[in-house]
Amino acid sequence: MVNSDMPKTPLTPPVLAILLSLAGGDKHGYAMMKDARTPEGGAVTMGPGTLYGTLDRLMRDGLVKETGTTDDERRRYYRLTALGRATLAAELERLEGAVKQARVMGLLPKRGRA
Amino acid sequence: MKPEYARLEQWYARALGLYPMRFREAYDETMAQAFHDALEDPGWKRGPLLRTTARDLAVSLGKEWLAMMFSSLTRPALMFNALVLAGISTVLALFLYAIPQQVLRQSLNDPQIQMAGDLAAKLETGTAATEAVAAKKVDMARSLDAFANVYDGTGRVLTGQGELDGHVIGPPQGVFDYVRQHGQERVTWQPRPGVRIAAVVERVTGAQTGFVLAGRNMREVEARETHVGQLAGMAWLAMLGLIASGTLGFAWYTERRAR
Repeated sequence: MVNSDMPKTPLTPPVLAILLSLAGGDKHGYAMMKDARTPEGGAVTMGPGTLYGTLDRLMRDGLVKETGTTDDERRRYYRLTALGRATLAAELERLEGAVKQARVMGLLPKRGRA
Repeated sequence: MKPEYARLEQWYARALGLYPMRFREAYDETMAQAFHDALEDPGWKRGPLLRTTARDLAVSLGKEWLAMMFSSLTRPALMFNALVLAGISTVLALFLYAIPQQVLRQSLNDPQIQMAGDLAAKLETGTAATEAVAAKKVDMARSLDAFANVYDGTGRVLTGQGELDGHVIGPPQGVFDYVRQHGQERVTWQPRPGVRIAAVVERVTGAQTGFVLAGRNMREVEARETHVGQLAGMAWLAMLGLIASGTLGFAWYTERRAR
C-alpha cells in the first residue's frame, strides 16, 4: 500500500543499501544482502531478519514490490517502484550535499572528477 | 552440503519459529534460503556469518514483535477499550486514596470537638479559665496528646495546655474572626513548618466571652495518609499493568485467530 507519493528521507543504512541494490535490477534476498556488504553497496552487514523486516516495511510503504517471478520456491525477487527510485534519488542528493559541505570544510580530501 | 551446515540450517529454522506468526508465514522460507545461500557463499566466513546471524536474530525478533504489538494496539476498538479501562482505574485509585484519607482526617477531629464543646460550656457557666483547663502541658510539636487552650475575646492567650517552645500560642487572627461570626471552625493549623495541628476552635459566649481551641498533632495520621496514598498508587499501577497485559494478550490472541 502506498502511504505517500512524496519521498521521505533520511533513510536508515539497511533501507539505503536495499534500495541501492534494487536500483541495479530485480534481486532476491541473498543477492541484496551480498550487495549491501560491498563498499559501493553501503558496507552494511545485515542478516535475513533485518533484510526481510525492512523489505516488509518498504513494501507496505510502496517503495518496493515483489516481481512475482521466482527461480526457486524459496527465492522471491523484488523490484524498486517509482516512489522507491525517487526516494533513493532524494537520499543520494541529500548525502551528496553533506559530502560537498564536508569537502568545503576540509573534513574530506578534495577530489577532481575523472 | 556439509553436515554441519545442515545442523546450522536446522537450528536457524527453529529460531525462525520465534518470529510473530504473520512475519513467519510471509518470510520463513525466504529467510531460510538466504541463510542457506550465506552458508554456501565462500566469501562469507562462518564465524562472522554466525555472529551476524545471532545479532540479527536478537535485534529483528524484538523489532518484529514490537511492530506486531504496535499494529495490534493501534486498532481503534482495542485502544479505546484500554483507555476507558485506564480512565476507570485512575478514578478508582483516586477514590481509594480520597475516601480513607477523608475518614482519617475527619476522625482526627473527634476528641477535639468533644473537648472544645465541653470546655466552652464550662466557661459559659462562669468557671474560671484556669480552673476549667486541667493543669498539664503538651508539647504540640512532639506529643500526640490532645490539648486545650483558652483565649479572650481579642484572641489573647488566657491559659492553655498546648505549648510550642515553652509558650502557649494562638492561631492566626483570621481564625478568630471567622469563629466570631460562625461559632466554630475546624482547621489545620501550622504554627511552624513541620508542625501541623488538627484544631477545633469554638466561640465562648456569656459572662466571659472568648474562644477555646482544642488541638492535636497530625503527624501520625498524616503518616497513615501517606501510606494510604502509596497503597492506592501501587493499586493503580497494578491495575494499569493488568490492563496493559490484558490488552497485549488480547491483541496477540485475536491476531492469531484472524489468520
